[in-house]
Order: sequence, then structure tokens, then C-alpha cells
Amino acid sequence: MASFILRKAEPKDVSDILRLIKELAKFEEMEDQVILTEKDLLDDGFGEHPFYHCVVAEVPNEQQSSEGHTVVGFAMYYFTYDPWIGKLLYLEDFYVMKEYRGYGMGSKILKHLSNTAVKTRCSSMHFIVAEWNKPSIEFYKRRGASDLSSEEGWRLFEIDKQYLVKMSSEE
Amino acid sequence: MNYTVRDSTPEDCKDIMRLIVDLAEYEKMANEVKLTHKELEADGFSSNPFFKCLVAEVPEEFKSKEGHTLVGYGFYFFTYSTFKGRAVYLEDLYVMPEFRGKGIGKALMSHIAQIGRARGCVRMQFTVLDWNKPSLDFYSSQGALNLTATEGWQLLRFEGDHLEKLAQSAN
Repeated sequence: MASFILRKAEPKDVSDILRLIKELAKFEEMEDQVILTEKDLLDDGFGEHPFYHCVVAEVPNEQQSSEGHTVVGFAMYYFTYDPWIGKLLYLEDFYVMKEYRGYGMGSKILKHLSNTAVKTRCSSMHFIVAEWNKPSIEFYKRRGASDLSSEEGWRLFEIDKQYLVKMSSEE
Repeated sequence: MNYTVRDSTPEDCKDIMRLIVDLAEYEKMANEVKLTHKELEADGFSSNPFFKCLVAEVPEEFKSKEGHTLVGYGFYFFTYSTFKGRAVYLEDLYVMPEFRGKGIGKALMSHIAQIGRARGCVRMQFTVLDWNKPSLDFYSSQGALNLTATEGWQLLRFEGDHLEKLAQSAN
């Protein structure tokens, strides 16, 4: 099994994208945190000013998964900005179904994304990885990624909805 | 001392760049700033901006020792979480040392939280250097959670030659 195509996601893909998002969340042991719906994905990814961009990996019908799926991998990204160097490509999610690994799909997706980054004049591609996820960290480091948390001491923070509401109502 | 928080204009870019360099100096990384105020203008004020920036301004009679009235900024853009949807990312938050302790930092953050909520965002994320105790304390007091500490997230990056190399290997 080796044939697959990489293509830009279309509105019809939102159900498959959500399925893969949930699979990845399950792997990260955070499945119950996914509250996103297909409607959110549709509204937020395919309007005039999309919040994200997405590429999907698709196999031919005869190679469909054990549950009958042909969309077997995806990557979701958006553009961010570093006030020191300018535009960046931020890789939010990147996943290939287990039964389709080892065929170069992940590698191909990452190369496609870095190509997009270079073509859109981004200085860098950023993403986060859980520190216990050794296979992924190794995958990225083999391809030249640097770990900014250990090299520079950056720590990721979050302020969630209840505190945002609190903050925005204080003046 | 009174101050106003407002959306930035193209004319503010020189001042914003000055404050960006100030913050980079504080973070001990001033030599990493490659961006010019012209690029900032092009990337932030077109029909498809890559970032937004709020500025804090004081009246003439309270200007800084060097004669500046733009004394703080909050630099942000919109991102996407595959778990929860729309999010706002706080890239830079800075107030000149002589204007601290007056609630300007908090005001900038509140305004951005408000803008985020109006746009349907469910969270605000940002990174902080692990040695930056004053900032770590400030954000904790506002309800921020350190996701690197609690969930083990590490920030990674592909840049420069590594990004080019990865891109060129796509066919």
C-alpha cells in the first residue's frame, strides 16, 4: 500500500477532520476536551477570513480503512506573527491513522507544510508537542526542529473562558 | 495619571517597533529582532492583516523621559484549537518601566480579552520565559495556567536552513 494524495480540505471533509481530531486527542489522553463540532469547523475554516487551513491525506477506495474511511490523515495550520521576524506558520494538529503509518505520509505532509511556509514567506514553522511524546519529538528533531522550551525556557500559558470573561468585564 | 488604550494605526508602527525592541532587550534577545517598522506596517494594516495591536497612550504632559507618549502595547492574533475552536493568542504585552504599576498592562490585557470574547474566542494563550518571575506572577494572578508545567507541552520550531531543507525535499 503506497498510493495516497494530499489535498486542500473542502467543506465536505469536516466530518472526517473531526473524526481524526478526536483520534489524535484520544492518543494525547485528552479526548474529553474536544468540544468542537462539525458546524464550528465549517464556519471557522471555510468563510471569508478562515481561522485555520487544513490539508488531508486520502487513499483510493480499495485501500479504505477497516471502518470504511478514505481520509486517513490531516494537518491543520494557521499563520501567526513574531514581532521580531514577521510571519510564521503554526502547525496546530498533525495526525495519520495508525494503520497508515510507516508509508511516508507524515513526512510528505510535513514537507508540504514547510513548502507552504517558504512560499508564503514565513520565517519559521512552530508547533507544540507533549514532552512525554518521544516518538513525535524524535520525528521532528530528526528533521531539524529545535525544542524552544528546553533551549530558551519558553513556557506555554493559557487563560480560559471564565477568566477571560472576568478580565474583560473589569476596567 | 490617565492613559488611553486604543487600536493602533499605520502611523504607530515606528513607536511599536521601538517598544518591541525594548521588550526583546528585557528578554535578553534584542539581537534577534530583524523586523522593520515598514514590514510591520505592510503585515498589520492590509486587508488581510497577520496581527492586531493595541497601544497605550499618555497625554503630552506625562510623556516619557525621552518624549514618548506611546508607552505600552498588546500584540495579538487569532488562532484555532482543534479541541475548542476560536482562540486569541497574546504574542507580546509590554509597558515601559517608568509607566508600570498603574494598571496599564492589565488594561491592555482586558481589552484584548474583550475583543477575543466578541469574536467568539474561548481561550487566550501566550508563552512566558521560565525565569521571568514578575510576569509569571502577574499572569497567575489573572487566572492563567502554566500548561507546560501541568500538561508537559514543549514549544518546537523549524526555522532558517532547517525549514528550507525540509521544504526542498517536498516533490
